[in-house]
Amino acid sequence: MRGQVRRGLSWSAMWRIATVIGLSVIAVTPSVSLHGQGAGRPASSAAKPTPRTPDGKPDFSGVWIANSTIRLLEGEQQVEAMRQADLAAGRPPLPPPEPLSYKPEYEKVRQEYLARRGIDDPMARCLISGVPRISVRPLPFQIVQTPGLVVFLYEVHHAFRIIPTDGRPHPEDFEPSYLGDSTARWDGNTLVVDIVGFNTRTWLAGVGTVHSEQLHVTERYTRDSYDTIRYDVLVEDPEVLTKPWNMHELFRLRPNERIREYECIENNEDLLRIEKLLQNESVFRIK
Amino acid sequence: MTKMFAVGLAILAGVAGVSAHHSFAAEYDSNKPVNVSGTVMNVEWTNPHIHFWVDVKSADGAIVHWRFEGYPPNMLVRQGWKKDATLKPGDTITVTGWQARLEPTLGAAREITFADGRKMAAGPPAGTGGQ
Repeated sequence: MRGQVRRGLSWSAMWRIATVIGLSVIAVTPSVSLHGQGAGRPASSAAKPTPRTPDGKPDFSGVWIANSTIRLLEGEQQVEAMRQADLAAGRPPLPPPEPLSYKPEYEKVRQEYLARRGIDDPMARCLISGVPRISVRPLPFQIVQTPGLVVFLYEVHHAFRIIPTDGRPHPEDFEPSYLGDSTARWDGNTLVVDIVGFNTRTWLAGVGTVHSEQLHVTERYTRDSYDTIRYDVLVEDPEVLTKPWNMHELFRLRPNERIREYECIENNEDLLRIEKLLQNESVFRIK
Repeated sequence: MTKMFAVGLAILAGVAGVSAHHSFAAEYDSNKPVNVSGTVMNVEWTNPHIHFWVDVKSADGAIVHWRFEGYPPNMLVRQGWKKDATLKPGDTITVTGWQARLEPTLGAAREITFADGRKMAAGPPAGTGGQ
């Protein structure tokens, strides 16, 4: 079934769905914090200088998490406090989200995945997310940096990326993979990571955001304050997209966090439930 | 309404992927909220989700065995949960969440209220398939 197209959604249906989603997002926003004490909350450190490694490069070492996921961990109150701190520090807001622009044949594929409410999501099968999706999961990652090398350790999936930062070309013998092959260079204070060599078993960001093996991702990491990394991503895939897609995120330093074990496949009951659901598509499919 | 549409469209565009693990929407129905009270019978502290069982007395006195899914342990620990301490057999709790599409006594937990009135987040907000 995966990848097959049965029918797309009309714009009116899309509008209804999008409105319901918008209502749902607003409806689930808790009025009081249900959350803990914010163990990962950074101390007031706006005045701290951006750390640098002995070779003078910005030092990204530390445990980080995507800003967009923090509301799951700490609730709206803390999210609002961080937003206010950003405003006070003069941080420019991230550009508004940009929609992916698919060629018609791939837009149909994406719409089909949406109509199936994401039941085909590789994540539900504990498969490694690709880039940039792995960067915005609600589990933190750690960056370990040495001269000439940066290592990303993702809590989710026990995934890692070992990235040379000397601007070397990609090797010629890579096989298509979930995280692709990364090589990086410095552009001033920004680390620019170039990634190719992806397989087609991941989604770029949300449900149905398919891509081809021509996918080329360019990540730009800029430590724009002691507490934050600005993450700007350019996604190019001329096979499926009509134009490149830009994604932006902010990573927050989690000074009191550590990367823990997360063995996704340990007790993944979703696999059984999904198999049952797939026997009766009308149960879950958007009408 | 336009703003709501914009929020929804942004999520449909796949730029708000905050799902902890699976697509919520295929397995659970966000139009079927659950609010039950009962006694915790068991807690399964596993990835990618914890599960816990709650015995709920129905109006006719019969016991209904509810089962709930929640965040993975790591996300709970970061919100102040402790294994075998925060939620344990014998506790009287109220659970809010959403009902599964196939199994009528399976739910995705969002929040637990304990006997002393404390509230703890137990799982993510309802997803819609756009995440």
